[in-house]
Amino acid sequence: MRFTIFQESRKGSRKVNQDRLAYTYSRDTLMLVVADGMGGHAGGEIAAQIAVRLFIERFQQEAKPVLKNPLKFLQDTMLRAHAALGSYANQFSMLETPRTTCVCCIVQAGHAYWAHVGDSRLYLFRQGGLIGATKDHSKVQYLVDQGIIGVDEVIDHPDRNKIFSCLGGLVDPVIDLSRRTPLRNGDIIVMCTDGLWAVLDQKEMATWLTSTPILKTAPQMMREGEKRGGPDGDNLSAIVVRWGPETLTDEPSTTITETMGLGEFETQIDRTLTLTDRKGAQRDLSDDEIEHAIQEIQSTIQKYRR
Amino acid sequence: MAVTNQALVGGYQLLNYRIDRQISRGGFSIVYRAFDETGAPVAIKEYLPSSLVLRTEGDIVRASSAENLTSFRYGMKCFFEEGRALAKINHPNVVRVLNFFRANETVYMVMRYERGRTLQQQIQMRQDQMSERLVRHVFMHLLNGLREVHTHKLLHLDIKPANIYLRTDGTPVLLDFGAARQTLTSGRPKLAPMYTPGFAAPEQYREPDRLGPWTDVYGVGASMFACLAAFAPQAADARVQEDHLVSAKKIWAGQYSENILEVIDWCLRLDPLERPQSVFALQKAIRDIPQTKRKLTFMGNLKKMLFSQIGA
Repeated sequence: MRFTIFQESRKGSRKVNQDRLAYTYSRDTLMLVVADGMGGHAGGEIAAQIAVRLFIERFQQEAKPVLKNPLKFLQDTMLRAHAALGSYANQFSMLETPRTTCVCCIVQAGHAYWAHVGDSRLYLFRQGGLIGATKDHSKVQYLVDQGIIGVDEVIDHPDRNKIFSCLGGLVDPVIDLSRRTPLRNGDIIVMCTDGLWAVLDQKEMATWLTSTPILKTAPQMMREGEKRGGPDGDNLSAIVVRWGPETLTDEPSTTITETMGLGEFETQIDRTLTLTDRKGAQRDLSDDEIEHAIQEIQSTIQKYRR
Repeated sequence: MAVTNQALVGGYQLLNYRIDRQISRGGFSIVYRAFDETGAPVAIKEYLPSSLVLRTEGDIVRASSAENLTSFRYGMKCFFEEGRALAKINHPNVVRVLNFFRANETVYMVMRYERGRTLQQQIQMRQDQMSERLVRHVFMHLLNGLREVHTHKLLHLDIKPANIYLRTDGTPVLLDFGAARQTLTSGRPKLAPMYTPGFAAPEQYREPDRLGPWTDVYGVGASMFACLAAFAPQAADARVQEDHLVSAKKIWAGQYSENILEVIDWCLRLDPLERPQSVFALQKAIRDIPQTKRKLTFMGNLKKMLFSQIGA
């Protein structure tokens, strides 16, 4: 797989950051996950953390090096995260279960699969146009669907933070699964929390991210988002992936996974990525990795020997 | 005087292989003929990028600086990729990998040794033009191999007569998958991709996003062109600026079947979408060509001479 990836979380004007995000990949499968812990509830931060951790752990157990059924993986893991939050609350005798939104995307064999709960979003852009998106599990989205309010009224609506599906809620979460969506080189996947989409609509995002190298413009977009949030600004987080080899810049910014050994994973949690700490493209092979690669080639030769 | 990497000397024992002599030297590697423990010949490719001087004597490869080591190890990933891809392909028209190992602080790929010569040598040696029969024979078999390569989601990206080996029985073998790395190395000046002018498709220069089976199809078309002309077509980057390439149909009218000339022109279209989109489509087009006897007329010969002078 070849892709360029960016992730960043900013606190905005809040005291704590309840957003959590991570990506991890094996040689052949990439997983991105974003969770926004619910502030009005106890331990939103903990909830987001648990959900993201669980996704990473399960991914590393199952993606060896591919997931058998990505959509089933997404569905199962969402439900397990929901259950895990319940047991966490039980264990610590919490009055209320910690809650979080969650959106997770898997890219495998050139196809994307995603699932979400709540109002953290995924957008898929191709050549500047939106070709895929999640639909919020929120009251305002419901009102829009019913034709009661217009799309432009969503941002300022008093109920815009009310969501009817989350992990850790009293009722089981409503989980929306995407279709198996083929990706083309140059496609952009954006996953973000409401702190970003509330201040930057998808058209603007497309403008920021499509025709310019994402590692250059995505950080600018986040700064701009935080600025627009102003003194009441929410936490804002985003993972941006540009699929395929990087062609917009001379910088070696493409992450290349072909030389990873079987059973190996690279994981990045929460941290803001810069060119220097990005793994993959610039990193040397270690001696272990060389041994791994050789072993794998030798076993392939054996397997295909007549 | 330019310092170059020292090749392993004849008689050197590399694990269970005994080096006989150097066969060829490329941008990223040296290829040797060697003998295994049973005395059977093999070809061994040693990863040794020529842009980094790493071995001036002896056998051990040493990076002279930390920066060199980074580039060296980075390029090694590409070598692994080639090995990984080839290990899966077991096809009579694709070079076969027999072993892969690490020694002397670098890596080695052992391949089946083939007897014969490259299509490039074949073109250069021949006094007269290559017959349509031979061109068809070579490319129909080669395309079977290339189809297998594409089935494994790999593009060759450096198809040219020098990478097509003709066994003594006349069957072709596709060699040197080192170029498959090229999409990896954009922006790494030390291990920059080296396209072969004339055989590389226009999208290889400018639009790596648009690489596909049609990119190798361009290389096939250019190689067929070279068989007839004994020189490469005008380089694609120059063609994009100003296209001076005279169509095969014009140059060799009357000497080769109209259809094979049309196929060559079809493969050499600048727009990737206008070329055959798959090897299968190309094979189908070649199969459909009716066999015709080659006719050499005085006018035809004159025309060929004139055009080839202009073209060159």
